[in-house]
Amino acid sequence: MSFEDDLARPRWKRWLINRFVLVPGFLVLIAIVWNCWVFTHNHGVVSGRVVDAAGTPVAGAEVKLWVFNFVTFNERTTTQTRADGSFEFTDNPSHNIQLSAEKAGVGRSRIPMRLYFRSEDITLTQPLRLSRESDDK
Amino acid sequence: MIKRQRSWPIHLTLIAACFVMLVPFYWVLKTSISGENIFSYPPNIIPRDPHPFYYVDVWYAIPFARYFLNSVVVSTLTIAANVVLNAMAGYSLTQIFPGKQFVLMLFLSCMMIPFQATIIPAYLITGKLGLLDSYLGLALPMFSTIICIFVFKASFDAVPRSLIDAARVDGLSEWRIIWRVMMPLAKSAVATNVILSFIWSWNNFMWPLIATRSQDMQTLPLGLARFISYQEDTTGALYAFCIMVLAPGILLFLLAQKEFVQGLTTGATKG
Repeated sequence: MSFEDDLARPRWKRWLINRFVLVPGFLVLIAIVWNCWVFTHNHGVVSGRVVDAAGTPVAGAEVKLWVFNFVTFNERTTTQTRADGSFEFTDNPSHNIQLSAEKAGVGRSRIPMRLYFRSEDITLTQPLRLSRESDDK
Repeated sequence: MIKRQRSWPIHLTLIAACFVMLVPFYWVLKTSISGENIFSYPPNIIPRDPHPFYYVDVWYAIPFARYFLNSVVVSTLTIAANVVLNAMAGYSLTQIFPGKQFVLMLFLSCMMIPFQATIIPAYLITGKLGLLDSYLGLALPMFSTIICIFVFKASFDAVPRSLIDAARVDGLSEWRIIWRVMMPLAKSAVATNVILSFIWSWNNFMWPLIATRSQDMQTLPLGLARFISYQEDTTGALYAFCIMVLAPGILLFLLAQKEFVQGLTTGATKG
């Protein structure tokens, strides 16, 4: 666009429709949408299932939530699995956690999890699989 | 008949130069999403298992949003002051007045004095004004830079004198001549001022280190230093932090690079 064409446009168009406004505006829009998403999905809910090596749900397994604290993981809270092997934590404050599950005679399992923001609500796509092998480790 | 020169050797050289320039940036970006240790051998060109979680770590490890806001406020103040004050100074240097050559020589000689040499007087003046540990105090020493004054001067020199004389005949004051006649014709100089003052302000480490007392007033470069000082195993997060600090400057440069190059070359082809 030539300088003359630019001057021929209405003043508000010259001020608003240019790359110096549109690009930052687009970035601000992304930030707003992202923050809305965070605001509606940060209740600290972590849920999942615990199964044994054969894939059968394990009831009564002890599941612990570990929260990364600077250099190590600290135990935050504990819960028991229900009859269908499911569990749920509702007070995860972190974005860097570990889940461990254990049941005597069945085995144990531990998985680290990285979240996109603190207290992100998340459901495990893969169940915690208890095994004797991880028990030995 | 004009013989067309082969362009591919030039392009090949330019591509090689671009490659050399961009490889460090690529390496920082790659490490920020893979966390690969710099000493790992053999090094991976393509990031292995890339993920954005180092950026999340940085965001929560330090008050990044606060530092970012501080940097934005200080840079905005610096840019606004640079454009206004440098335009005024540049315009005055296009006029004829007694001692102009002396002033020009004084400016040129002052360019040779590093900021570190003036940091104690700058601190004392800022302290006397009661501006230490404030946004205004952080931006104050960078309110005007001599290089940017000369960028405006070169741009204003390219404007025909007859145009300024016509504006005076029409009754415009000097102030209005600057803002209504000169500035619309000096967009490239404005862009150059914006980019240079932004980058200098954004990357400034020493002055904020001295002028800030509270943690809440620290800027991103100070945050980076603080982050390095207390984080272990920082490879991925450190590089992610570098990207987060660099990104606004790179974005601004990409947005205004055409005007920036014009601003730097205005006046260079005169004479």
